[in-house]
Amino acid sequence: MPAIRNQIRELRALRELTQQELADQVGVTRQTVIAIEQDKYSPSLETAFKVAIALGVPLDQCFQYDSRGKR
Amino acid sequence: MLASLSYREKTLYASLAAELVVYGSYFFLHGQNSVNQVAGMIVAIIVLQIILQSVIAVLTRNRVTDERDRLIELRGYRAGYLALASLMVIGLGMLWFHATVGHLRLDSGMVGLHFLSVFFGMLVVADITKTATQIVVYRKTL
Repeated sequence: MPAIRNQIRELRALRELTQQELADQVGVTRQTVIAIEQDKYSPSLETAFKVAIALGVPLDQCFQYDSRGKR
Repeated sequence: MLASLSYREKTLYASLAAELVVYGSYFFLHGQNSVNQVAGMIVAIIVLQIILQSVIAVLTRNRVTDERDRLIELRGYRAGYLALASLMVIGLGMLWFHATVGHLRLDSGMVGLHFLSVFFGMLVVADITKTATQIVVYRKTL
C-alpha cells in the first residue's frame, strides 16, 4: 500500500469533473492526474493544495498519509 | 494509444526513434573511422529532431508540461550521466590496458579517429539511455 493515498477519483466523480478539467484547473497534464489517482505518483505539496482547492475540500480529505505504507 | 500520451512523452518517442535511426545507421551500416561521418550524424540528428518535434508540436493542442515531467526528465539525466561515467571509466581502463600491453600505439595517426569514434559512441549510448529511461519511468510508478 502506498504511503500517500487519495480520494481524488471519488471527489472528482461527485463534482462531475473529468480528468482533463481537473488537470486544466490545477495546471498539470491529464496523465499526471491519472498517475495521482492510481497512486503511482505523489504530487508536490503545492500541487496537492491546488487539487484540494479545485475539488473544494480540505487537503486532508483529499490526501491521507499512511506511515506504514511504501514510498 | 497516441492520444493517451502527453506532449512530453510523444517528443521522447520521437527523439528515441531519431536517435536509433541516425546512430544505428552510423554504427551498423557505415564504417566508423571518419570525422565527416561523425559531423554528418550530428547534423542529421539535429535536423531530424527539429522536423519531428515541429510536427509533434503542430499536431498536439495541449502542450502543458508539469512537475512530474520535470522529475522524470531529471531521472533520465541521472541515468544518462551514470551510463556516460561508467562507459568513460571502462573506456579509459581499456585504453590504458591496450597501451600497456602494446596493441595500441598512441603516436599512430589513426588514434585520434579511433578515440573520436569511441567517445562519440559513449555519448550516443548515454543519450539513448537517458531517453529510454524517461520513457520507462513514464510507464512505471514514480
